[in-house]
Amino acid sequence: MRRRGGPAVERFSIAQRIEHFVLLLSFNILALTGLPQKYSGTGWAQRLIEVFGGIEITRLIHRTFAVILMVQGLYHLAAVLASRTRSVRRHDMHLSLQDLHDMIGDMKFMTGRNRERPRFGRFDYRQKFEYWAVVWGTVLMAATGLIMWFPALVTQWLPGVVIPASRVAHGGEALLALFAVIIWHFYNAHFRPAIFPMDPAMFTGKIPLERLQHEHPRELENLEAAGLLPPREPEKADK
Amino acid sequence: MYWLILLAVAWILGFPQASLAQDNAACLGCHEVEGTKISFPDGALDVTINAKKFAASVHKDFTCTTCHTNHTGYPHPPRTATSRRAYQVLAQQICATCHADQAQIFDLSVHGRGVRMGLGDVPLCASCHTAHAVIKPKSAAFRNNIPEVCGNCHADEAVMTRYGLRPVYQAYVEEFHGVTTRLYRLVTPAIRSPSAVCYDCHTAHTVRRVADPLSPVAPGNLVATCRTCHTKAGRFFATAWTEHRAPSLRHSTLVYLVQVFYLILIPGVVAVLVILTGMDMWHWAVTRWGGRA
Repeated sequence: MRRRGGPAVERFSIAQRIEHFVLLLSFNILALTGLPQKYSGTGWAQRLIEVFGGIEITRLIHRTFAVILMVQGLYHLAAVLASRTRSVRRHDMHLSLQDLHDMIGDMKFMTGRNRERPRFGRFDYRQKFEYWAVVWGTVLMAATGLIMWFPALVTQWLPGVVIPASRVAHGGEALLALFAVIIWHFYNAHFRPAIFPMDPAMFTGKIPLERLQHEHPRELENLEAAGLLPPREPEKADK
Repeated sequence: MYWLILLAVAWILGFPQASLAQDNAACLGCHEVEGTKISFPDGALDVTINAKKFAASVHKDFTCTTCHTNHTGYPHPPRTATSRRAYQVLAQQICATCHADQAQIFDLSVHGRGVRMGLGDVPLCASCHTAHAVIKPKSAAFRNNIPEVCGNCHADEAVMTRYGLRPVYQAYVEEFHGVTTRLYRLVTPAIRSPSAVCYDCHTAHTVRRVADPLSPVAPGNLVATCRTCHTKAGRFFATAWTEHRAPSLRHSTLVYLVQVFYLILIPGVVAVLVILTGMDMWHWAVTRWGGRA
């Protein structure tokens, strides 16, 4: 239990952790109520819809959590805008060419062609990729979902073909999001040998300095430079 | 001896009816036997009656002779129809005795015209309503099953090609209306699907060719027909219509392009993620066991 020991710093605020929990909850319920609609011809989908109590209730649940997710998305946007005035830990999710270099460097490292792992900042390229995939996915799912929800209104201004097109995009993006979560998020946040069974940072909100040094060394430097690190204690042996 | 028994059976079956139940029971004595058939040059007609289904039908209180007026005895009067189809077409007149209004408007429909032209595939009353298991058309069981009823023919490529039509059933069941109706039929069969089924747009007994300007789904009438349910449908609403066909470069182009986009994007993204994940596991395995191996 080496991970638990040692001083730690805050990685996610309580508001961010609540956001993550709302996202987790709505994502799963949306998938659970949406996929059986996409695959309505299959037995499992019909049984699942039966469990929910029919297609109308399934759709009601789906739309309720869609609204919750959209509200959360708007809150997130406001929170990001508000954080722009902060002195540290701003723009942590900004994408740059550096991320591409990091990815290539990391691939070289993983295949043994580089001895050193790239020095990641607060969020590495994997986490940034996932973050922006969620942003893109949520915007697209909200837009296509609303088009399907209010087809009569939408077709006062837009050609009708956007409705069946939205339906295809909504289903395709859903599948993409599901694969991304199952492969990418589950691996990086749960199944990576170093963190299995899960990365606790998102739930405790804290990350040990030791992990920070290994996985996000530039973040450690930034915090040190800003004088935000807790006093370092001499390393103690685990009990 | 044998003919004596036959004669006895015939006498019993032809006995003047004392009550409804007795009358029907006499007929069912033969007609309930599985596989009772009339043979015609163009195929046999199954005349087995499922008594349970009949008892659940809207006509349950009728005697057999209410409709089959000349079948009061056995042997039955000689048949005038020389083919199975002709027999079924004649049987429509039985329905028309009471349902004259429906019979009259059906006659004007594209199906009714087909019947008069002698086309063998065209539906008759019983093709959709059944002959002896007729249930209320307003019932959930009937409404939710409409796509399957129409699909009996409109899913059949061979039949449709004969009339220059496309099979549309498969495309419908994959559309929003079709998905909803199928889920009602399979999951909540006692509730009527509020989603459009075939006859909501095409009408039931007055169905016309789509190209017929009087058809409610003719291009000029389409948005008005949509508005019978989608009362506030915008002016471009009807262009959402994908014509019961799979999207292609020529039809519903945008829908097709979105399909292709995800067909490429999903495997592409999955491949990248699997490769990166695999590399990380590889690195971990090499670090852990590399030295010893």
